[in-house]
Amino acid sequence: MALYSGSQQIPQQRRGLTAIDAITALIIILLVVQIWLLSATLDAFLAGHTETALPGAIVSGLLCAGCFAMYEFVRRVDRDARPNR
Amino acid sequence: MFGYEFYVDPSRCIGCQSCVKACEECETHRGHSMINFDFIDRAETIETAAYVCWHCDDPTCAQVCPADAIKKGEDGIVLSALKPRCIACSNCVLACPFGIPKIVPEYEQMMKCDMCYDRTSVGKRPMCATVCPSQALAYVRTEEIAARREKPSNVFYFGNQKITTQVYMMTPSGTDSVTLDITEFMWEKANA
Amino acid sequence: MPDGAKTTVKKQEPLWRDEFSISRADERYVSRRQLAKFLTLGSLGMFAGNLWILVKSWMRKAQVYNRSLVAKVGEIPVGGVKLFQYPKPGEQCIMIRTADDSYVAYSQKCTHLSCAVFYSREHDRLECPCHQGYFSVQDGSVLQGPPTRPLPRVVLERSGDALIAIKMEPEV
Repeated sequence: MALYSGSQQIPQQRRGLTAIDAITALIIILLVVQIWLLSATLDAFLAGHTETALPGAIVSGLLCAGCFAMYEFVRRVDRDARPNR
Repeated sequence: MFGYEFYVDPSRCIGCQSCVKACEECETHRGHSMINFDFIDRAETIETAAYVCWHCDDPTCAQVCPADAIKKGEDGIVLSALKPRCIACSNCVLACPFGIPKIVPEYEQMMKCDMCYDRTSVGKRPMCATVCPSQALAYVRTEEIAARREKPSNVFYFGNQKITTQVYMMTPSGTDSVTLDITEFMWEKANA
Repeated sequence: MPDGAKTTVKKQEPLWRDEFSISRADERYVSRRQLAKFLTLGSLGMFAGNLWILVKSWMRKAQVYNRSLVAKVGEIPVGGVKLFQYPKPGEQCIMIRTADDSYVAYSQKCTHLSCAVFYSREHDRLECPCHQGYFSVQDGSVLQGPPTRPLPRVVLERSGDALIAIKMEPEV
């Protein structure tokens, strides 16, 4: 195989790895937001403000769904890049 | 790989061991040569042969490693055992049909030729091919090897197992694969 | 395959060969995919935590507090404290006589990590010795430090010359 010159010849495998790296970074960002949300909701709950529990749970659910969607994308990239499995 | 191929022609080997010494020079494994250098039948003949790792397409050593230490890189080069993982169990030593991997007891590590990947990946030739005076070990383009009388072959049969490699063996023209029956060479001469 | 190695159409590989692949590139895919999976499960855990808080907030019943005698008027001097247990035994509380005719009481559990707070006469505030969290004596709000929530207050009622604890605010 030839030495690669220029980004137009990035092999399929390397592109897939870069995509997975980017998605993992996005998942981490969502996770950090979720961690903060959990701590804030817990703090409000312990202080007696129960009105934050429902919106907190809904947003947390949305964030979790986002993480799952991105993980499914990772699996798809993996399937496309390594078709023998 | 990288536009060049590695060719091994044992009939050209003169036994100078330049390849052994050149391989030893490498910083990453100084003092330990990765060349498998054989005296064919020292009592009877001065014939010698030098071999490098054949970088099989489906490397047996990697398949049998229990520690998942031997990896095949993106360019098809079979890399030497990863230092954190190798447990020096000698599984690869026993499994390799060509007998290439060697265990270095003082490091408790398997070490083998990795086609000087640090050199070949930047366009240089492996150390052994650079110094071999008779070019028994040659790292050249396909066109250059066509000038030789022998023809390259990278298909080996060990009994029923077919092995294809990245490194080519020079064989007499007309041979398209090398068939080896190991048991033939296990017969010890009586009263030798 | 892009690396030019011979590609033979193999029968479906067993899972362990795929997860512990001898190809370096494949191994990278597997380990990164596994990391993404682990993070996603962490996200699910966070969501479960939030759901638990939601369920707890729904299941919370209006708390019924018992009335409990804390101390007699004049029992402690001005600037003095008395420790008592309210609403249940084991729930440590602290009462401070801030002025001649003024008494306040709070839960003694610091809202940061539940160390016992003490009254500092010198600074006229409730102090937590563990991480230097300070609470106001007037209403239990946080003056400084790691705590985020104010100290739960014990509502005192004066009945004759007895000081009775009637409820906690906020409800715990």
